[in-house]
Amino acid sequence: MAFMDLSDICVSYDGKTNILKELDLSVKEGELVSLLGPSGCGKTTTLRVIGGFIPPVSGTFTLDGTDMTHVPVHKRNFGFVFQSYALFPHLDVRNNVAFGLKLQKMEQSLIDTKVNEMMEICGLTELSDRFPKNMSGGQRQRVALARALVLEPKLLLLDEPLSNLDAKLRISMRLEIKKLQKKMGITTIFVTHDQEECFSISDRVAVMNKGKVEMFDTPENIYTTPTTEFVARFIGFENFIDFTKLEEHTYKAQDGSLFHTDVISVKDQCKATIRPDDIKIINDVNIAENSITGKIIVRTFLGKSYQYEIHTRLGRFLVNGDIEDVHKREEIVTIYLPSNKLILLQS
Amino acid sequence: MATRKNTPLTIIAIIVFAFLILPLVIITITAFGGENTIVFPIKSFSLKWFANVFNSETFVTSFLLSLKLALLATVLALLVGIPAAYALARHWEKGNTFLKSFFLSPTLVPGIVLGFALFQFLIIILQIPLFIGLLLGHFLTVLPYIIRIVGASMEQVDISIEEVAWSLGCTKPKAFFKVVLPNISSGITSAFMLAFINSFNNIPVSMFLTGPGVSTLPTTLMNYIEYYYDPTVSAVSVILMLATIAIMYLVEKTLGIGALLG
Amino acid sequence: MNRKSYLLLMSPGLVLLLFFLVAPIIKILTTTVITPQGLSLSNYTKFFRDSYYMAIFVRTLKIAIVTTLFCALLGIPTAYFISLCGAQKKKILLSVSVFPLLTNSVIRSFAWINILGKNGVVNSLLLQLHLIKSPLNLLYTDFSITMGLIYLFLPLMIISLVGVMDNIDPSFMEAAESMGANRVRAFMKVIFPLSLSGIIVGSVLVFTGSLTAYTTPQLLGGNKHLVMSTFIYQKAMTIGDWTGASVIATVMIITTIIVIKLLNMLATKLDRREKDGN
Repeated sequence: MAFMDLSDICVSYDGKTNILKELDLSVKEGELVSLLGPSGCGKTTTLRVIGGFIPPVSGTFTLDGTDMTHVPVHKRNFGFVFQSYALFPHLDVRNNVAFGLKLQKMEQSLIDTKVNEMMEICGLTELSDRFPKNMSGGQRQRVALARALVLEPKLLLLDEPLSNLDAKLRISMRLEIKKLQKKMGITTIFVTHDQEECFSISDRVAVMNKGKVEMFDTPENIYTTPTTEFVARFIGFENFIDFTKLEEHTYKAQDGSLFHTDVISVKDQCKATIRPDDIKIINDVNIAENSITGKIIVRTFLGKSYQYEIHTRLGRFLVNGDIEDVHKREEIVTIYLPSNKLILLQS
Repeated sequence: MATRKNTPLTIIAIIVFAFLILPLVIITITAFGGENTIVFPIKSFSLKWFANVFNSETFVTSFLLSLKLALLATVLALLVGIPAAYALARHWEKGNTFLKSFFLSPTLVPGIVLGFALFQFLIIILQIPLFIGLLLGHFLTVLPYIIRIVGASMEQVDISIEEVAWSLGCTKPKAFFKVVLPNISSGITSAFMLAFINSFNNIPVSMFLTGPGVSTLPTTLMNYIEYYYDPTVSAVSVILMLATIAIMYLVEKTLGIGALLG
Repeated sequence: MNRKSYLLLMSPGLVLLLFFLVAPIIKILTTTVITPQGLSLSNYTKFFRDSYYMAIFVRTLKIAIVTTLFCALLGIPTAYFISLCGAQKKKILLSVSVFPLLTNSVIRSFAWINILGKNGVVNSLLLQLHLIKSPLNLLYTDFSITMGLIYLFLPLMIISLVGVMDNIDPSFMEAAESMGANRVRAFMKVIFPLSLSGIIVGSVLVFTGSLTAYTTPQLLGGNKHLVMSTFIYQKAMTIGDWTGASVIATVMIITTIIVIKLLNMLATKLDRREKDGN
C-alpha cells in the first residue's frame, strides 16, 4: 500500500462546479512528487486538501495507514511552504523557525539545538536576528523551509515555492530543495507550473488537467511517451495526426496514407504525435510509408536549427531542420516520420 | 515635489491656517486674564482660573467620569469590534458588505437623534441606570472607528500566516492571538486613540443621558457657559488642548500622524 | 472559517446593535406614526404645514448649504497647497489641520462666543476703530451659527481633500501648463475634476455634519434661534413633547439619507463622465 493515498477526492466550493473530480494519487514514502499543470487545473487545491485547509466533499485521504480525511490542520504535522512564504513579520528568523517547536512545549535548550541545526543546514545561521522585511526572496524561502522541516513532518508540501524568485536563483534553490529532501528522506509534494523545474528534480510527476490527474509517471516516461493528448501538448508536442488502426503496427491517416509504428494502440481510433526534432525532411520521394508532402509556409531561425511550418494534406506540421540543410519558403518538400518516433496517445 | 512659488495660493493657505488657529489662541490668552469676565486682550495676568478648575468638584468629577466612560466604552468596542472585524475579513459570506455597513451605521445616525432615541428607550422605557445608558451610547458611537480601522489593518495581514501557524501545530484561536494580533497592534492602538478621543469629546449623546452626579465634562462645560461667562471655561479649554497636543505628540512618535487621520 | 465560528464572532456586536441602535430608532419612528386616530402620517403633514417648524427646517438647510459651500471654497485651495508641500511641511500642516478636529466642539464654539460677543474681539476692535457707535448683535444669528460651523468643519474638508489630491500625478499639471494653460486654468481643468470624488466625500461629511450638529447651534444660536437639532432637544427636554421631538428627528434622518444618496449619485455620474472623457 502507498504511503500517502488520495482516493476519489471531490472538491467543490459552491456545490455546483467541481474543482477536483474523483482524483486519485498514490505517493511512495520518501518520494518527491510534483503536481504539474496549467492554472486552474486544481494542483494547488489538491495540495491544500492534503494540507487540510480544504475539506473534500467526498473521497478519502490516507497517510501511512491512517485515515486523515477529517483531521484538523493543526494535528496533521505536515510542513507547508506557501508561495508567499508567509513568514511571521513580527518575529525574527530564529523565532520564525522555532515557532512550531515552542508550541510543543519543548525544553528551551532542545529547541535551540534543533533550530541551530536546521538553520545551519539551510544556510541561515548569519541571518538569525534578521526580520523578514529585511530579507531577499531566496533568504525568505529558506526560512520558510527551515520552519517547516525543523518539526520533522511526515509530509512536506510546497506550493509554487520558487515562482517569486529570479531565474538563476530558481535553479540553485530547486537543487537545494532536492538535496535537502533526499538527505532527510521526507515525502514531498511540490506544486508548480514550470515544466523544467518539475522534471529536473521530481521522482514522479502528476500532470493535472481540469481537476483530474491525466498522467502520473517518471519525468522520462512523460517526456518520451505521453499517454494523452493534453499531456503531449503540455510538454511540447506540436504535431498531431488522427489514425485508424489496420493492424497492430500499421495505421491509416485521413488521406489514406499508411504509417508504421513501433508502439501499439489499444483503441481503433487514436491520435499520433511526433516531435518537431524527430521529423526528417527527405529528398527521396520514393518512400511510400510514413511520409507526406507539403509546402513550407514559414521558416524561423532557432539558433541550432531552422523551424519550418509545413502545410500538408494532413494538416500543419512543425519540423525542425538541420542548420546545414536550408529550405526556402514556398518550397515543396517531403517529410518523413520515423516509426520509432511516432507516439500513439491513448486518449 | 518642490513647492513652486504660487503667491495667491500661499496667501489663501496662510489666511485659512490663521483662521483655524487664532480663535484657539484667543481662548488660551483669555485663560490667563486677571479680570472677572473674559476680556481680550488681557489686562492683567492670573492663574486663578486654573485653580478654580482644579478646585471645582463638578469639573473634577465630570472629568473623571468622562475618562472612565471613554476607557470603558473603547474597551467594550474593542472586545466586540475586533472579533467582528476578524470575521468580516476572513470569511466570505454573501451578506458581508451589508453586515459591514450595518456595523458602521451608527455614523449615519445624527448624534442628537441617537441621544434622544437612547434616552427614550433606555432611560424612560427600560429604566436602565444613566451610566450604563451613557456607556452604551458611547459604545455605539465609537464602534464604527474600531470596525473601520482594525478592519483595514486586518485586511493587510496575509491570511497565509494564519494557515502556516495552523500547519505548525497552532489551534485557530491560538493562532489569532499569537500571529494576527501582533500584526494588527498598530491598527488597534490607532483605533483606540481615535475612539477614546471621540468618546471623551462627545456631546449630543451625553447631553441627553445626563443627571445629578452623572455629567460628562463637555456637558458640564456647556451648562457652565449657559450661566457664567468667565475664563474658567478658557482654563478648561487650555488644559484639554494641552492634553490633545500631548496625545498627538505621543502618537506621532509611535505610529505617525496618519494614525489619527482614521 | 466555518459558518458557526463566523456567527459566534459577529453575534455580540449584532445583538448590541440590534437592541441598542435599531430598536430605539424604530421606537422613535413608530411613535411618529401612531396617533390617537390610529396609524397615519398626520404628524408629518402637521410638521410641513406649520410655518414655525418649516422656518426652522429651512434655516437648518440654508445654514448647512452655506457652510458646505464655504468649506469647499476655503478647503480646496488649502488642501491643494498642502498637497504641493514637501513631506516635512506637509506633516506639520496636516497636524495643524487635524488638531482642531480632536479638540472638543464646545471649545471651538466657545471661541466664537469670545469673538462675536458683545464684549468680544470683533466688537471691541470695531468700537476702538470708531467704526461703530454701539456693539453689534453678532451672536445668536444665522451668521454666528454658520461661522461656528464653518470653523468646525473646515478641517474635515481639508483632510478629506488632501488624501485625494496627494494621489494626483503632478505631471498632469505640468502637462497642462506646457500646453499653454496658466496656473488657474490648469488647476480648474486638471486638479479640480480629478479631486471631485474627494470634494463630494468631504461635502457629504460637512453637509450632514452641519445639518445635524448640536453644540455649535446651541452655543452660538441659543434657544431663541433654533435649528433642527436644538429644536429636538428643546421639544424633548424642556417642553416634554416626545412625539414632536420624534417627528423632527425622523425628518432629520430622512433628509440626511436623501442628501447622501443624491450626492453619491452625483459622484457616480461625474465618475463615469470622467472615465469616458479620459
